Amino acid sequence: MAVMQASAGRTRGNQFRRSWTRYRPGVLFLLPAFILYAIFMIYPFFQSIYLSFTDWNGADPVKNFVGLENYRNLLTDSLLWKSLRHNLIWVVIGTLGPLAMGFLLAVMLSSRPKGFTLFRTAYFLPQVLSPVIIGIVWGWIYNPLFGILNVGLERIGLENWTRGWLGDPAWALYAVLLAAMWAETGFVFVIFLAGLQNVNRDLIEAATLDGANAWRRFWDVTVPQMANVVTVVAALLLIGGFSVFDIIFVMTGGGPANATDVIATYAYTEAFVQNNVGYASTLTLVITIITLIASYIFIQWRERGEE
Amino acid sequence: MATHNSSLDRGLKSRSRSSDIGWDIGRYALLIFFLLVFLVPVLWIWASALKSSIEISRNPFALPQEFMWENIERAWTVGGFDRYLLNTVIYCAAIVTGVVALSCFAGYALALLPLPGRGVVLGLFLLGLMVPFQSVMIPIYYLLRDVGLLETYWAFIIPGIALRLPFGIFLMRGFFKGLPNDIADAARLDGANEWNVFRSVMLPLAIPGLSTLVVFQFINTWNQFLMPLIFVQRDELRPVALGVMFFFGRFTADRGLIAAGVTISMIPMVILYLLLQRRFIEGITAGAMKT
Repeated sequence: MAVMQASAGRTRGNQFRRSWTRYRPGVLFLLPAFILYAIFMIYPFFQSIYLSFTDWNGADPVKNFVGLENYRNLLTDSLLWKSLRHNLIWVVIGTLGPLAMGFLLAVMLSSRPKGFTLFRTAYFLPQVLSPVIIGIVWGWIYNPLFGILNVGLERIGLENWTRGWLGDPAWALYAVLLAAMWAETGFVFVIFLAGLQNVNRDLIEAATLDGANAWRRFWDVTVPQMANVVTVVAALLLIGGFSVFDIIFVMTGGGPANATDVIATYAYTEAFVQNNVGYASTLTLVITIITLIASYIFIQWRERGEE
Repeated sequence: MATHNSSLDRGLKSRSRSSDIGWDIGRYALLIFFLLVFLVPVLWIWASALKSSIEISRNPFALPQEFMWENIERAWTVGGFDRYLLNTVIYCAAIVTGVVALSCFAGYALALLPLPGRGVVLGLFLLGLMVPFQSVMIPIYYLLRDVGLLETYWAFIIPGIALRLPFGIFLMRGFFKGLPNDIADAARLDGANEWNVFRSVMLPLAIPGLSTLVVFQFINTWNQFLMPLIFVQRDELRPVALGVMFFFGRFTADRGLIAAGVTISMIPMVILYLLLQRRFIEGITAGAMKT
């Protein structure tokens, strides 16, 4: 009996040793990244879910478990719904705008006309600027006293169009959105440009021989081949739009009177200004869930397209 | 390219000469309009950096009458931009190195080495690729506070590396998977151990992917805002992307000075971009499309 156990132990030991020799290099290569990732991403991710069931304020030694109270509060939180509506506006306009502008610019430059490098350099420039710089520059553009937007409108005789763009609740969100679109267009543009360079020339050639004019060639041959690129870019902009924070925080901080608050700025305020850590965690979880659903749909869609 | 041009030429020849010219004029008008849209805001700030505050409001569109270089000088000293820029360089060096090294190791393992539970590990990294920073920012803040790192450079460096690993790992994994595995096997047969196979055989082949990751990660780290905003609590540790915001808040009324500070904070990146623009554009395009 004892002998059998010992020998069984030995085989198990041998097996373990054998699979360890096999797996050791892989495990050792993976481990540094995985440990860091586990501590600073996986653990916080679940901790965040846990905190959403408490009313912790960030200071108390004990975290009170309050069950679903935070979730119930979400339903009646008018600021949350207002913020979500702003997110939706942001996602729709902030995706369609750069897509349209980026596409237009890419099509105009796809034949590499004279000055190509200059145009490309300029259109892409905002992509390397930090959100704070973009926010400050555009904050100045909209400045009611010396901003070039109002001064420009006055010079062309449209004085009654001038206003304090960021101070006007009816306009502030769209003003910030325009700045974000200015920054985002260059990204869409270079990706579309690369996509247009990869369009199958033989098909265009064939369509030309078949007598298709430039317009038909573009819509019937070029555009369908771009569908995949368009989807990826649209998905990136769309998903990013649900967690937008930087440029809004810098330009308006969510004001005036919450007119530009999105869910990320609201969650930030709750977490780090009001110290309502429990409720703030619930709010960030809303962002997480929306983003995960959007990403999931996108991945499914792309995999089906690739089949 | 050649076939493209010839097909385009044929297409254009079928139209009349005058409509060609009309089309070209229309196109260049639009191209130049957008050129101004993207350049004027930036050039306006640069010009304002050399103006007095009064001149900025009186003649916003004009070039500076006399160049106020002292704006730049004053912004540099009172704004502490030397410190902010140095911090940014430290953060970029540490985070880019960390992300690239760890992503190469892990991406290599997940692409080519035998691993138990590979699917689970990939799933966990995919989760990190999909969720935004907001999903984890609150617990990370308290974690950093509890281990006493909030007042140090590490507060941005460590999570800065950890949260960018999914992206780097998927990028490098994709790259390693595209490499021919027989080369590695040949090296193994020659008696090379796994580390040497990685270091001397596979890694050199992955240099193009690696440089994409470096460029992408560098721009990302340089411009990162929310993470340092929350985690970097002391002014002397702030990166420039954050420092310029506090500078803006402190000197709102002094417009020439603000413009000078904003200009200082964007110039290094703009110069790098102009020098390496193809790499920048390739890096951002590949980074966005390959994951």
